[in-house]
Amino acid sequence: MVGWEVPIGAAIAFSAGAIATGWAQSRIGSAGAGAIAERPETAGTIIILEAIPETLVILGFVVASMIILMVK
Amino acid sequence: MDWGYINARMRGMKSRLLDRRALDNLVLQPDLESLIAELEKTPYKSDIIEAKVQYTGVLCIEYALRKNFTRTFRKILTFVKEEEAEKYISLFLHRWDVQNIKTILRGKNIHITNEEILDCLVPAGELDEATLIELVRQPDVRAVIDMLATWQIGYSRPLTEEYPAFLKAGELALLECALDEYYYADALEQVKLPGYNNGLIHNIISLEIDVVNLRTLLRMIRDNIDPKEAKKFLISGGKEFDERQLDHLLTLHSIEEVAEELKTTPYRFLADLPPSVMRTRKISVIEKQLERFLVQKGVGAFLGDPLSVASVIGYFWAKYNEITNIRIISRCKTADFPLEQLKEELVYV
Repeated sequence: MVGWEVPIGAAIAFSAGAIATGWAQSRIGSAGAGAIAERPETAGTIIILEAIPETLVILGFVVASMIILMVK
Repeated sequence: MDWGYINARMRGMKSRLLDRRALDNLVLQPDLESLIAELEKTPYKSDIIEAKVQYTGVLCIEYALRKNFTRTFRKILTFVKEEEAEKYISLFLHRWDVQNIKTILRGKNIHITNEEILDCLVPAGELDEATLIELVRQPDVRAVIDMLATWQIGYSRPLTEEYPAFLKAGELALLECALDEYYYADALEQVKLPGYNNGLIHNIISLEIDVVNLRTLLRMIRDNIDPKEAKKFLISGGKEFDERQLDHLLTLHSIEEVAEELKTTPYRFLADLPPSVMRTRKISVIEKQLERFLVQKGVGAFLGDPLSVASVIGYFWAKYNEITNIRIISRCKTADFPLEQLKEELVYV
């Protein structure tokens, strides 16, 4: 029987990743905007850099899914 | 305060500064015309094109450099508007207000035309072009000071206080020194609280005071000015030299003795200068070394915390140095200076 701990654990795993991703993207985004304003040719690199923190939330999602699916 | 954005923009702008190879390329140009043509291939293109409409030769380059410098710092001020950084950058740019007021006072003192004075101004500070034009329109030194006082601009205070002494002695240096003293005291006052940014600005300004004082001191010693008289021209608030140490240096009799005395300070490089410089009392060579030291320290701010005002300060000095280098190249091309000597005059950072 699954208790309330499992969905709470999954929620923490996902939300912590999401918050961290948001924070990292905000910092990279503002610095990236500055870099693009001065050197528009860096746009491609900046978009890739902006996407890197997404891995964090994906990881959170995977961990949350694993918690829900595997803990029984 | 989004320092990340400011830092990224400053680094982007720094990457567009001329590197050593580009400067060497400018040095290798045979004459002023080819130098101007070469500058058109650099980020100075639009300024040079604008300048070519009105001027030719060295005046064209000077005009373009002034325009570029002013435009660059006005641009920086637009993206830090109403941010904490604005205070620091404005504080740093106020030096151009001081410089412009000095230029106007000098021009009025020797009665040159308004156009000639306007050609020498760099409206990169708080006083914009319209304000400066109005100041230049004033008939004499007194009127310029009165105009500043009417507009309640802080610089009028030291000038009004020192004006009677200027009238008596006829030395404009008294007014200029009062302006410098006011600017540095005001700048240090604004950054007296603890904190990384305040500390950084305090450090660089007090270092600059030291360099200004050393420059003045060496000139005074060279010209055998009475220490009591010379003391009036020194500025308080230096990093390395307090009042007592400056008094001691003023009592020395030669440039060699001062250089010897500086061996225990960061200015020990002055003692390594060739003896011929000391013997011929060539202050210009020593001043060049001091300038180089200051620029290197200023540009070194780039290595500081990226999430602070450090990158702006580093950029300021790097840009200032680039403009100075181009001015040196253009002047040397006009005077047909030998290539090797010209290269020695440049400061690479």
